[in-house]
Amino acid sequence: MTIDRTDARAFASESDMLASKRRRNRFRHDAIQVAIIAAAVALVALFAYAVKEGLARHGIQFSFSFLWDAAGFDISEGKTLVFDNGLWPSLTSFTADRTIAQAFVTGIVNTIKVAVLAIILSTVLGTLLGVGRLSTNWVVRNLSFWCVEFVRNTPLLIQLVFWYFAVVLHFPPLAAAAKFYGVVISQQGLYFPSPVWHGGSSPFAVAMAVACCAAILGLILNGRAKIRWICAGAAVVLLGVMLATGTLGLDYPVTSRFQASGGTSMSPEMAALLLAIVVNSASYIAEIVRGSIDALPKGQWEAAASLGLSRRNTVNDIILPQVFRVVLPSFGNQYISLTKNTALGIAIGYPELFNIYGTIANQTGHSLEGIVIVMVSYLVLSWVISGLVAWADRRLTKRGAAR
Amino acid sequence: MIATALKWSRHNLFGKPFDALLSIIVIPGVLWLIYQSLDWALTKAQWDIIPQSLRVLMIGIFPADQAWRAWTAVIIIAALLGAGLGCVFAFRSRHAGFLALVWAAAAVLTGTSDLINLLFMAAAVAVFAGGWAVTSYIPASRRALMAASFIGLIAIFAVMSPPGVGLWGGLLLSILLTLVTAIVSLPIGILLAFGRRSRFSSVRIICTAYIEVMRSVPLILVVYWIWILMPVLAPQWNLADVARGMIGFTLFYSAYVAEYVRSGLQAVPRGQTEAARSLGMSEFDINRSIVLPQAIRVVVPPLVGNVLDIFNTAPLVFIIGLTDFLRAGQMILANPQYGDRTYEVYSFLFLTYFLVGSLITYVARKLEAHLARGSR
Repeated sequence: MTIDRTDARAFASESDMLASKRRRNRFRHDAIQVAIIAAAVALVALFAYAVKEGLARHGIQFSFSFLWDAAGFDISEGKTLVFDNGLWPSLTSFTADRTIAQAFVTGIVNTIKVAVLAIILSTVLGTLLGVGRLSTNWVVRNLSFWCVEFVRNTPLLIQLVFWYFAVVLHFPPLAAAAKFYGVVISQQGLYFPSPVWHGGSSPFAVAMAVACCAAILGLILNGRAKIRWICAGAAVVLLGVMLATGTLGLDYPVTSRFQASGGTSMSPEMAALLLAIVVNSASYIAEIVRGSIDALPKGQWEAAASLGLSRRNTVNDIILPQVFRVVLPSFGNQYISLTKNTALGIAIGYPELFNIYGTIANQTGHSLEGIVIVMVSYLVLSWVISGLVAWADRRLTKRGAAR
Repeated sequence: MIATALKWSRHNLFGKPFDALLSIIVIPGVLWLIYQSLDWALTKAQWDIIPQSLRVLMIGIFPADQAWRAWTAVIIIAALLGAGLGCVFAFRSRHAGFLALVWAAAAVLTGTSDLINLLFMAAAVAVFAGGWAVTSYIPASRRALMAASFIGLIAIFAVMSPPGVGLWGGLLLSILLTLVTAIVSLPIGILLAFGRRSRFSSVRIICTAYIEVMRSVPLILVVYWIWILMPVLAPQWNLADVARGMIGFTLFYSAYVAEYVRSGLQAVPRGQTEAARSLGMSEFDINRSIVLPQAIRVVVPPLVGNVLDIFNTAPLVFIIGLTDFLRAGQMILANPQYGDRTYEVYSFLFLTYFLVGSLITYVARKLEAHLARGSR
């Protein structure tokens, strides 16, 4: 009896002890949490205080109101959002009488312009290089390998500077520019033919244009191969009809001795930045593509061959869908780092976000507020890219087989 | 002979109709390119600019009569690199001959006839071999490597500072920046990686936020911000541009190191932690002596790749007005006397960067193979 009782008491006290120990631990855990948060808050407050004091010494106040002041400086190229006619914004060239906020927008637009073009071009070039590294042709294989190796083992900045000072600025002057099918290549920039709308607002022409846009959207968004073929065909036919009837024309650039007009132009700075980033990013993408094709089990090729699939069908239906699945997240990371790399444009004077931030910081002295804006812009750009890649990933998973 | 060549080319160049087509298009283009570049490099290019401006390229505007300080720094760097190499690859006597060859090649390529420079070069190579031998023969010395690196860095600063920190430049600055960033960001990165999987949600959130923010903004921004922020925050310190640049690089790359280390931490099997816990080890001891060593082992190759990234982004210090290797080359070209030597200077810069970069990549690949062999 007594033994039982002592046992029970011992058990009870032990469970009490455990409970109190747990309580103590939880309390300690919470206390440490609170202490860390307090320390972090204190650190941030100290930081803010030091910054405010430091700025006060220079006679600057931390505020974002400078954003609505007139800029007073010009930007060599780029469009900004303007709210002149009502709520609907329009893209207009930046001029010195616009606000500083609009200067920031110009920078963001320029950054996005280069980033989007570079993403498309480097994906194409990178995939070609990556497949080239696995080619059965010895010359092509080694050429791709050494190109990729060279680009990956040298700094992007020297590539950029080289493209600008040693290549683009050594293009022929406009008077003696090289011309290919309406594309003009010169020191002063590149000029491309651009589509122009001659149809006015006639209902037939507008209907055709809308149908064409719908077909292209269907081509991109619809998953089924048959519908995509129909959409592609419809888009090509509609484009042909519009070009033939003259509702849609091509505006070719016309060059005179010192200037060119018409068409779309690309400044030498943008051309050099685009070249450098596309070539650089393409070699990283080539490595990703090569790696993921290599990583596919050989059994996939053999199984397809044993089923009697042709090589084209094997590549299209067996290999590429799997490669795409593996490759997409890495592509996303590469796209984000590519977008960040556009900040190097400041080295050759391309007015992207960071370059314009530098000008604004110099002109107004509000460098710290600018930091916040630039940082948030880059964060948002990164999130948008990773969001889009995640969306594409989900779509491919739905269509493709299970992992 | 001809028969084998024909067989080889039939197999490797004209194996399939598409390959044959590619060969017909690509081979003449490649040959033309090789011919053009060789023709330029051997007959047209005026290479004399390189030996003439070698000092500026290597150490920037560091005063020539203080060159021994730069050489001392090079020797310390060589010792550290050798010691680092010795942790993974054992030193063999045959390597000594190879290093002597490297010294001879360096002497010939730089075209130096100065006895003092040759001696310093020999000393650097010898110290490299010494460091390599020490860590490969005395395993106990490897534990001291991290401390030795920090002491080495402090020694470099002590030796190089007297003429003025603002005078640092050229390839030496690029290498110093890379070294400081790589060494200092390692412990910070490890702390951040552990912080990201801490028991305390507040620590987790702070570390994750830091890592993610740093990883989504460009390096050039971070460097520039630190550069303008330091005088605002601590005007009394009056930090030199070089130091501010190094702080910016370190803060940025710590986030990347943290992610690499975290991937390594995740690769350590849970059983390791559980076994250690069942032995009654404290959390700190488990992390320090069980988890971290295994995690670091896995991430050595990507961390070496990270060093290449640091070296390849070092030219970005132009934004805060420093004269690194690339900037030194541009400075030479800015001299109107050398205005037409653009391609010569850029070729040299590209070649040097490519050599250093390939070396680092080669070491990383070797390490990967080496570690893959060692693990079960």
